[in-house]
Amino acid sequence: MSETILKVEKVEAGYGEVQVLWGTSLEVPGGHLTTIVGANGAGKTTTLRSITGIVKPTSGRIIFEGEDVTRLPTHAKAELGLVLVPEGRQLFADMTVEENLEMGAFGARARAHYDRNLERVCHYFPRVKERLQQKAGTLSGGEQQMVAVGRGLMAEPKVLMIDEMSLGLSPLLAQQLFQTLKELRDDGLTLLLVEQNVHLALALADYAYVLAEGKVHLEGPAQEVSHNDEIRKAYLGL
Amino acid sequence: MIGILVSVINGLLLGSIYGLAAIGLTLIFGVMKVINLAHGAMIALGMFALYFLATSGGMNPYLALPLVAIGGFVGGVAVYWIGVHRVIGRAELMSLLATFAVSMIIIGLGTALWSTSPYNVQINIPGVAIGNYTIPGNHLVAAVIAILIAAALYLFLFYTRLGKAIRAVASNRQAAELMGIPSTRVLAIAFGIGIGIAAVAGALIATLFPFTILSGGGYELKSFVVTVLGGLGNPAGALLGGLLLGFIEGVVSPFVDVSWTPVIEFSLFVVILIAFPMGLFRVGRGK
Repeated sequence: MSETILKVEKVEAGYGEVQVLWGTSLEVPGGHLTTIVGANGAGKTTTLRSITGIVKPTSGRIIFEGEDVTRLPTHAKAELGLVLVPEGRQLFADMTVEENLEMGAFGARARAHYDRNLERVCHYFPRVKERLQQKAGTLSGGEQQMVAVGRGLMAEPKVLMIDEMSLGLSPLLAQQLFQTLKELRDDGLTLLLVEQNVHLALALADYAYVLAEGKVHLEGPAQEVSHNDEIRKAYLGL
Repeated sequence: MIGILVSVINGLLLGSIYGLAAIGLTLIFGVMKVINLAHGAMIALGMFALYFLATSGGMNPYLALPLVAIGGFVGGVAVYWIGVHRVIGRAELMSLLATFAVSMIIIGLGTALWSTSPYNVQINIPGVAIGNYTIPGNHLVAAVIAILIAAALYLFLFYTRLGKAIRAVASNRQAAELMGIPSTRVLAIAFGIGIGIAAVAGALIATLFPFTILSGGGYELKSFVVTVLGGLGNPAGALLGGLLLGFIEGVVSPFVDVSWTPVIEFSLFVVILIAFPMGLFRVGRGK
C-alpha cells in the first residue's frame, strides 16, 4: 500500500456538550480513494470537519504529510492542500460560477496552477464550462454539485474530501459524478469520501472505514467490506 | 418652477453623499451582519479629520480626502480587532452594544476635546447659475467625488481578488475558509473599508456645512433610512436610496419648513418598512 498522506489519530470532538467522535482513527493513503460510511449520526461529517478544523478536536491529532496540523485554522489547512467540498455544496450563491472557481484558487499555491486547474475542471465537467457566467445560485442541484467539486479542485488539493456528494442527485447523475472521481483518482488525486450511498461508495473505493457511534467499527479494502455479512445487512439491505 | 428644479438638483447632490455614507453602513452589515452604531461617530471623526488637515495642516481639503480615507480604514481595522471581532456571529445585541460603546467613547472624547460648538471648513468654488438661483460649487464637487468613490468600491468588489473574497465571505464564511480565504482578516479589511467610506462621507459633508462632534448622528439616521430604501447589505442600492432620499428632500423643502423634513423622511421610512421590507432595489440579492 502506498504512503499514508493523512492520518487521524484517536480524535475526540463534538458540538458543545454533545460529543460525537470517541477516538476515531483512520489513515488515508496517497493516490487512493478512501471512503467513510456509516449510519446517520455515526460521526462521518464530524470527522471531515475535525480534519479541516471547522470543529476543533478536544483530543487526538491530525497528521498531514508527517506534520501535526491539528491546531491550524481552516484556511491554513486549505492552503496546505487539505480541501473539503462541504455537504450541501455551500457555493457562493450570489457570485458567478467563474468567480466561485476563482475563489477556490484563492491561496498562493492554488493560484499558481489556476489555468491548468480551470482546464481540468472544464474537462471533467463540460456543463460547468457552459455556465461560467451564470450565478451559482441559479444552477440545478447537479450542476451546483459539479461546481462545488470543481471549486475544490481549483484549490489544488493534495487530499480532496467530499461530504455527501450524491445527496439529492438523481441516481444517474450520482453515478456519473462517481465515475469522474474515479478518473481523478486514476490521475493521481487522493480522495476521501463520506457517503450515505454506501453501495456506490463501496463499489468505487479502494479502502473503506465503517463508522459507528464515533469510532471505527470496521475497516478494510472496499471489496471485502462490501462482502461482509454484517455490513450487507446493516447498510446495503441485502 | 425653476426654484423647485434647483431644489431637486441640490437634493440629488446631497443625496449622493447620503448614499456614500450609507454604503459604509450597508457594506459592514452585508459582510458581517453587524449594525454599526458607531457609524455616525465615524462620520463626525471624518469631519474633524478634514478640518484639522485643512486648517492646522494647511492642506487643500480635497487633497486631504485620501488621508481621511486611509485614517478611517486604519481606525476601522483597529476597532474591528478591539471591539467587533469577538462578537461576530453572536447574538445581534452583542454587536449593537459593542459598536454603541465605541460610539459613546468617540463622542465623549470628541466633546471633551472640541466641545460641541460648530466648526467649519472654508472652501470657495464658484457655483453654477440657473436663472436667479445658484448651485454651490462645493456641492457639485462633493457629489462627483461621492459617486466616483461609490463606483470605485463597485469595481473593487467585482473585479479584484480581495473584493471578490469579501463577497465570498459575505456569502458563505465557512465555505470561504474551506477554500483557503482567511475570513477573519477579510472581515477586518471590510470593516476598515466601511469605516473609511463613512469618514470620507463625513469629510465631504464638512466641505458643505458647519458641524459639531454630534453632527454624525443625523447622518447615521439618514444612512439607516437610505439602507432600508436600498435593501440592507446592498451597496448599489444604497447609492440609489441616497439619491432617492435627496430627491425627496429636494421636492419637499420648497414647500414646508425645514424642521418638517425629518418628519416626512421618517414617515416614509416606516411606510417603506411595512410595504417593502426587503428594500426597493433588490439588486443581485436573490436566492
